[in-house]
Amino acid sequence: MLQRHLSAHTIFAIAICALVAVAASALAEAQECSDCGTSDSSYVGDLGGEVIEGDGGFIGDMSPSDAGCIGRGYGQPDLFYNYFTQGNCNTANAQLYVSPLPVPPFVGHTFYTYQPFHPHHYLYAHTDRYHRYYDNGRGMNRTKVSYGTRPIFTAVQNVYWNKLRIPR
Amino acid sequence: MLRRKLIKLIGLAAVIVASQTADSSKAEAGDYYAMTQVWAHNFAMDRPWHGNYAYQNYGQPLALVVPPTAHMRQTLSWGVSQNLMYPVYHQYGRSANSPGAAAPGSFYPTPSWPSHTDQFGVYYVRGPWK
Repeated sequence: MLQRHLSAHTIFAIAICALVAVAASALAEAQECSDCGTSDSSYVGDLGGEVIEGDGGFIGDMSPSDAGCIGRGYGQPDLFYNYFTQGNCNTANAQLYVSPLPVPPFVGHTFYTYQPFHPHHYLYAHTDRYHRYYDNGRGMNRTKVSYGTRPIFTAVQNVYWNKLRIPR
Repeated sequence: MLRRKLIKLIGLAAVIVASQTADSSKAEAGDYYAMTQVWAHNFAMDRPWHGNYAYQNYGQPLALVVPPTAHMRQTLSWGVSQNLMYPVYHQYGRSANSPGAAAPGSFYPTPSWPSHTDQFGVYYVRGPWK
């Protein structure tokens, strides 16, 4: 019985992992990366596309540049962008990530590549919309995210912790 | 009997909903033009986010991230009149600024007998909105 139970759990866990992995790869595909491509402009949201210069190997081939072809483009916003303290009178400036505490460079770290998961969004209740144009503006990907607390759970917690619980 | 129960249930639900709407009121309510944001930004431009002290572990001041909805900070110190409240002007932004880290020795170390919370070298900076 226990074994059966375990195996069911294991299968469920594997299924979840696979799901998460698929989702993660899809997200990674949806993200853009400024470090892995070259673009003339560095503005967030710009479509970077480089015409690939190739001379046709056969007589009569049109090279992509002759035909005015547009290469396969990838958006150029940063895969991971940091935040910094602002102002003109700072003796030192701080970056927001690595969070929660800075570590020396040799330690290494991970970071979120999906902007809605950045932990600074968890600091307050709000709703954000993310837009991304693709295919030269013919397609737009929208993501709406709401950050908040579970209303009924929070209400119950409030009653318990602030009204019922004996302070000790 | 059933009707009474129903009425009680509906009343309870109404109370819960009311408490939720009261809780979820935003901190910037009443500031439709975000004037406090503008003021805070302007003040942050010409004063540093840090004090004169470095955090012990790094030799640099440490920025403690607080929600962007936070408004005030309190300093504690010896003496009755030294416990003061100040607005938190500074907020993280996209622009990378120079200098990054200060030269060693730019900041005072925490004294052996600290007498003020600022002397620990930890200073609040509000997180970014986006």
